[in-house]
Amino acid sequence: MQKYVIRRLLLAVPVLLLSSLIVFGLMRVMPGDALIALMGESGNVGQKELAKLRKDLGLDRPYHEQYLIWLWQMVSFSPGDSIFTNEPIPVSLRKAIPVTLELAALAMIIGLVIAVPVGVLSATRQDKPADYVGRVVAVSGLSIPDFWLGTLVITFAAIWVNWIPPIGYVSFWESPWRNLQQFLLPAAVLGFRLSAATMRMTRSTVLETLREDYVRTAWAKGLAGRIVVYKHALKNALIPVVTIVGGQLGVLLAGTVVVEQIFALPGMGRLTVEAILYRDYPVVQTNVMLVATTLVTLNLLVDLTYAWLDPRIRYQ
Amino acid sequence: MPATDPRHRARRRVTRREFLGHAGLTGAGAAALAAGIPRGRAWAQAGTSYPDWIPASTKPAKRGGVLTRASAWDPPLIDPRLTQSVGLFQFVGLTSNRLVRYSFSDEASGPSDLSLKGDLAESWQSDSANRVWTFKLRQGVKWHNVAPLNGRELTAADVKYCFEAYAKEGVQTATFQEIEGMETPDKHTLRVHLKGPNTLFPQNIAEPIAVIFAREVLEEDGDLKKRLIGTGPYTLKEHTRKVRVVLQRNPDYFDKGRPYVDEYVILSTPDDATRKAAFRTGQADFIWVPSPSEVEVLRKTNPNVLVQAYHNTLAPFGLALAQDKPPYNDVRVRRAISMAIDRQKQVDTVFEGHGIPGWGLPYIYYQDKAPTLKELGPWWQYRPDEAKKLMAEAGHGKGFETTIFYYEYFPQMTSQVQLVQADLKKNLNIDIKIQKLDYTTYYGRYVDGKWDGMSWGFQSGHAIGLDERAYQYMHSKSPKNFFRVNDPVIDQLTTKVRQTPDKAEQRSIAKKIVEREFDQALRLWMPYDNGFLVFQPHMRNAASGALRRCDGYGSPTLARAWLDK
Repeated sequence: MQKYVIRRLLLAVPVLLLSSLIVFGLMRVMPGDALIALMGESGNVGQKELAKLRKDLGLDRPYHEQYLIWLWQMVSFSPGDSIFTNEPIPVSLRKAIPVTLELAALAMIIGLVIAVPVGVLSATRQDKPADYVGRVVAVSGLSIPDFWLGTLVITFAAIWVNWIPPIGYVSFWESPWRNLQQFLLPAAVLGFRLSAATMRMTRSTVLETLREDYVRTAWAKGLAGRIVVYKHALKNALIPVVTIVGGQLGVLLAGTVVVEQIFALPGMGRLTVEAILYRDYPVVQTNVMLVATTLVTLNLLVDLTYAWLDPRIRYQ
Repeated sequence: MPATDPRHRARRRVTRREFLGHAGLTGAGAAALAAGIPRGRAWAQAGTSYPDWIPASTKPAKRGGVLTRASAWDPPLIDPRLTQSVGLFQFVGLTSNRLVRYSFSDEASGPSDLSLKGDLAESWQSDSANRVWTFKLRQGVKWHNVAPLNGRELTAADVKYCFEAYAKEGVQTATFQEIEGMETPDKHTLRVHLKGPNTLFPQNIAEPIAVIFAREVLEEDGDLKKRLIGTGPYTLKEHTRKVRVVLQRNPDYFDKGRPYVDEYVILSTPDDATRKAAFRTGQADFIWVPSPSEVEVLRKTNPNVLVQAYHNTLAPFGLALAQDKPPYNDVRVRRAISMAIDRQKQVDTVFEGHGIPGWGLPYIYYQDKAPTLKELGPWWQYRPDEAKKLMAEAGHGKGFETTIFYYEYFPQMTSQVQLVQADLKKNLNIDIKIQKLDYTTYYGRYVDGKWDGMSWGFQSGHAIGLDERAYQYMHSKSPKNFFRVNDPVIDQLTTKVRQTPDKAEQRSIAKKIVEREFDQALRLWMPYDNGFLVFQPHMRNAASGALRRCDGYGSPTLARAWLDK
């Protein structure tokens, strides 16, 4: 197990290096730079002043030098300041990460709370009305994009119940109730999308497991339906579900970009989108690397969870 | 008016095709349909019936309350030397003052009233040559009562320091480098010596961006990025990026008894549907919407709102041609292109009948009423046959291929670009390849001024004054001459207007500038929507004057706003 973890960690190094090269390259390939964006917000800045700013920020150096400097900043945990706002990147991240984490965690919880019971219900009532309803919900979740659902939810909430989540983020520690009000709808929007794929997978694996010999034996022993399904079938059916949940973490993080924008939450998504629009290289690069590292770590954790769910699995 | 004039159409039911189209486009569209409101041209009639001015309330103002707005903009930074972003100037005019300002909504006679009032200055006058301007400052004006200013008195030396700093670096150097030197004969007098005569200098320093900042902050911090301390009606209580800006009433404000509202909270809300939802549910006290149909959607849930049809005096966007290169350096080509574009069709379809056909210099500087399309002259009428003849004369009878690049500032812009593409293909066989760019790419390429073909050009949003709109944007030597105008007559007229003290003569010169611009088709302005400001029923004294919307660069007027509840 230990060797496996070390091997996976070592394998993460080239993955992260490749990610860093891609994000660095993409940002440089995009036309315009942060100073042009700044100029757009500022009015017409003279060429001399622009050249001076470029020099001050090291943007006049050759690309390989810029890359190596940035790489060193990343490994030494000092990613520098935003070109656009001058705010130190760690400060921006300290503000944005808790927002995205809270949103993602709540969305994940909501997604699972919907997906697993509905998936099981759908499987145990195969081809009955409950199954059809569950499948329609799942297909809707997969088909409706976050931006559309989010916009509809906020618009209809305003029209029908004259209520929308309070705008102007407050942290959970400042005001738990207001914070929950702010996160419930966006988390539900994200969670709905997440639940769709998970629900379909739960349904299909539970259906498969319910046809296994050992489940038939459990039925034959006269065990109660709930025990057969939840104790014997579900745990074994969950391994592919865990895989798909792990795989959806990327989707979840991508979804936060849109949902944060709609619900005015100042998380990583908004920070990154703004940084891309304004070609704020250091912020984009740091954020992407942070997300890449998170995904690599989470995927490793998902793999390790298999062993807990199925003791027959051994890591070598 | 054409037979299809949307203003003469009756309301009708939503068809299946419309339902699918709108619901598929945006959630807002779907919401509109859910609210039972038909979209489209039929709404124009209601839209055009809104007043373009809401007079000041005659009731005595009430003190207190919190004014809130959901804003699309976020300040990139809070240093007024380094940015002209509306994100910053949607509130800096409330924390800081200028020497002179334009009338607030409770002082103005109407939206076009651009009379100057003293802000920090009580009075001002120039010498006979209009080169030396003397400003007498108000006495007893105090800086905000926060360290390191601690409420000390503002002096002429503060203003001098500030103007020198603006001239030294940043985005306002063009305005302040015009100053040759300054002197402060006493604590409350500032004498400004200009390099050349400029009768419009007070207008230039009344621009919303020319705010007076605290010298101590710049000296201590080296910049103004962390602290914003001024003399204005509000102090900056909180600025959390991408969350909110909170302004708190300044009890020591020199205009005693004002402001009326205790706090002004600006909530960062990037999504349009969310801003509207915030307004509907009372989380925002006012909002700007671009079209009559959107006003009607809002009124369906909030029937008692107050609506001001915003009075646009210019179009900020137009077709910019690389007129320093062939074929656009031939005036016949420019005129032909202008005549081949059906502007009225854009007004009727894209802007639901509520828009202006397009001109660049605010008309209030040369005439009393907004020009009609006919008044813009022969080259601005839709006359495709004559356009064809002119193109043939210029040797381009078979048309040519070109490109246009643009950034979609608002969704209707894409429709406009496509209509221009279709018009020019149909009428002049000009094949246009459209390039839709992101903001940074567009801006960089556009202001660089080296592009070929066409661009959907712009002029900056903040400027109010005639000098800024004429000399700064059209003179061939100006760094803000993005349309690449290089016309000796325009150069001469824009220089002359800043040297002419007589208002009537200024108007006459401004008119000549416009006529020359239209005749030479130097900047092909395109139709633009006026938009609407929608207020909750309890809002008072917040009407927006021309060129200064109260949710943007015209925010200082909110110093007089109050809540009637």
